[in-house]
Amino acid sequence: MAAVSAFFEGLSIALSWPTIGWLAVGMMLGIVLGALPGIGSPVGMAIVLPLTLPLETTAAIILLVAIYSGAMFGGSIAAILLNAPGTESAAATTLDGYPMAQNGLAKNALAIATAASALNGFLAAIALVVLSPLLIEIVLAFGSPEYFLLAVLGISLITIVTQGSIVKGLVAGALGFMISTIGTAILSPRPRYTFGQFGLYNGIDFVAALIGMFAFAEMMKLAAQKQISQDDLDIAGSVREGAKTVFKYPVTTIKSGLIGMGIGMIPGSGATTSTFVAYAEEARSSATDGSFGDGDPRGVIAPEGANNPTVSGSLIPTLSFGIPGSGSTAVLLGGILMHGLQPGPVLFGEQLHITYALFISLFLSNILIVVVGLTVIPYASKITEIDTNLIIPMVIVLSFAGAYTLNQNWWDVGAVVVLGLLGFYMVRYNYSVIAFVLGIVLGPIAEQNFFRSLQISGGEYTIFVDPVNQPLSFLLTIAILVVLFGPFVKGRVERVVSRT
Amino acid sequence: MSSKYTEHNVTAEQIMLVVLVGVSALFIVEPILSNYPDDARVFPQLTASIVFVGSLLLLFRDYLPGPLRTFVAESISITSTDESDIPGSEANLEESETTDEEYEAETLGAEYGYKVDETTFMVVTTILYFAGGWAAGFLFATPIYVLGYTLWFRTNPVTSVLLAVLGTFVIYLFMTYLVLPFDQGHIFDFSPFLPLLVEPITGGGV
Repeated sequence: MAAVSAFFEGLSIALSWPTIGWLAVGMMLGIVLGALPGIGSPVGMAIVLPLTLPLETTAAIILLVAIYSGAMFGGSIAAILLNAPGTESAAATTLDGYPMAQNGLAKNALAIATAASALNGFLAAIALVVLSPLLIEIVLAFGSPEYFLLAVLGISLITIVTQGSIVKGLVAGALGFMISTIGTAILSPRPRYTFGQFGLYNGIDFVAALIGMFAFAEMMKLAAQKQISQDDLDIAGSVREGAKTVFKYPVTTIKSGLIGMGIGMIPGSGATTSTFVAYAEEARSSATDGSFGDGDPRGVIAPEGANNPTVSGSLIPTLSFGIPGSGSTAVLLGGILMHGLQPGPVLFGEQLHITYALFISLFLSNILIVVVGLTVIPYASKITEIDTNLIIPMVIVLSFAGAYTLNQNWWDVGAVVVLGLLGFYMVRYNYSVIAFVLGIVLGPIAEQNFFRSLQISGGEYTIFVDPVNQPLSFLLTIAILVVLFGPFVKGRVERVVSRT
Repeated sequence: MSSKYTEHNVTAEQIMLVVLVGVSALFIVEPILSNYPDDARVFPQLTASIVFVGSLLLLFRDYLPGPLRTFVAESISITSTDESDIPGSEANLEESETTDEEYEAETLGAEYGYKVDETTFMVVTTILYFAGGWAAGFLFATPIYVLGYTLWFRTNPVTSVLLAVLGTFVIYLFMTYLVLPFDQGHIFDFSPFLPLLVEPITGGGV
């Protein structure tokens, strides 16, 4: 009964003014930011994050979710029209979207992207609401040792999923944890690593770290990239025919949605992985009658049908356990914490109405995608024509102003620059930025749960590996070991077996 | 070892790892030197130890014995999709990024024979903007930064001026609505001149 009343309370919040207005603003902002090559949802959300400080908590989180959802669709505009994905998650859309545009079917491709993205996003949001009672049961079974171990498991999973060296991922995650310890200690009022600098007593604000890692580092990358041709684009084709195409391939649409939602739930995977997996699966299953790479509409349906359900899927670990699935959900998690909400038992207990308001907003945002998306199509090329040399200084101005707004502390602005430089080189040398960000965002929570666990056990570390009294902690510890060493041991075993 | 490593003695990654080793060592030693209590010491020392050992392993990975080297350097993934098989996929996009990095933009400097890497220019100007904002206030540093940055890349001067005005207006909005002292710097205080600049626009509304 409590869940039903929370649902209706969430519904009234989501439909109230100005919350619904922020949803619309976020959606449109997301579409524009997603369409700008090199910006995308993490950068856009990171810049907007400090600006949400004066907003009411639910409205602020809904604004961020709407940006995320809108950017998922917006990324496809540049992918289809310019062969340059606005977001990494739209990279798979270029494979058939751009050939369709070249074949005079740009409007069809954009309408397919709109319809597939919105339809599956809509269905995934319903699935999220349906799944929530089960999530509540799972989340409430977790205690302090489990939450600490979950943070470690999250970083371990991210390391593996992002296809890098395990050690690089661990270094990135531990570095994030380490930086989060700067400032006054959580359990005793003692400044740590401040070296007499009063500005460091509050530590490095994780929002400043997010701005540095995503906005500043991304602008460094963008500065080196060639400006995309600004020739006038001829947007031909039919919006109506394009939208109809999605319903001609119901299996492709639904299958892509399921892939998107499933992969979205895995920490670290994100929409870049889900869209490529959905595309690869469609290309494999329709190999006999497909013309993938030459403008097959299923090549647009598959990635676009997967991207928005990934948003819903990634909200599950983010809201339940505080483990983000992607860069965008890491920023969203930052927003949740910045506004005083706690992922886990609180969001699925006394603040369940806020969680439901988020899910319902996601549902509404997909209706808005159809309305705004189909209206924007004739003017879509204008967004993509903006010169990157105009974008960069504006993003920097907003980043610095936003970072200063957090605590009126110049150390936060400095952190944007320093961590931005670090993020740029981490990406270049394949260190997981998401693991780092997860470390810095979850650091205080992980430390608190780590000590609370030790207090419960009287200082005994066996609390994390006790199969009798703490079976869930024991299973999580085993899972961490399997994730970290499993692939390595498996590789060794396979080599030995093949030799013998 | 790749040719890239043999051609250059020190890579940016190695510099980054050395910095990480140094910083993590500081995080381990500082609590001992400053007598931090246990509840303030254990967690940062534990995480710093992982960074310290991991960075050292990565730094010397080419000199490690076989299995340990494999563990440290080998990329492992639980997702089976090989994106490099998909034309135009992210894996392939990374290759094209290298080409993009070699691209040289038309800049004001190039016209006078100065070639500056775009990323270096972006970082240097941004640091100068940060320093200018700290010293004189963002309200006054912003138009100079935006104008300088856009004009360097030969943007239409009218567009540059409009963007500088827009950037300054954004800062002005922050200053007015969030009550931030963006008109005051730590070294120069130009705030007394602000009414002279704003009154002609607002009609004395400030």
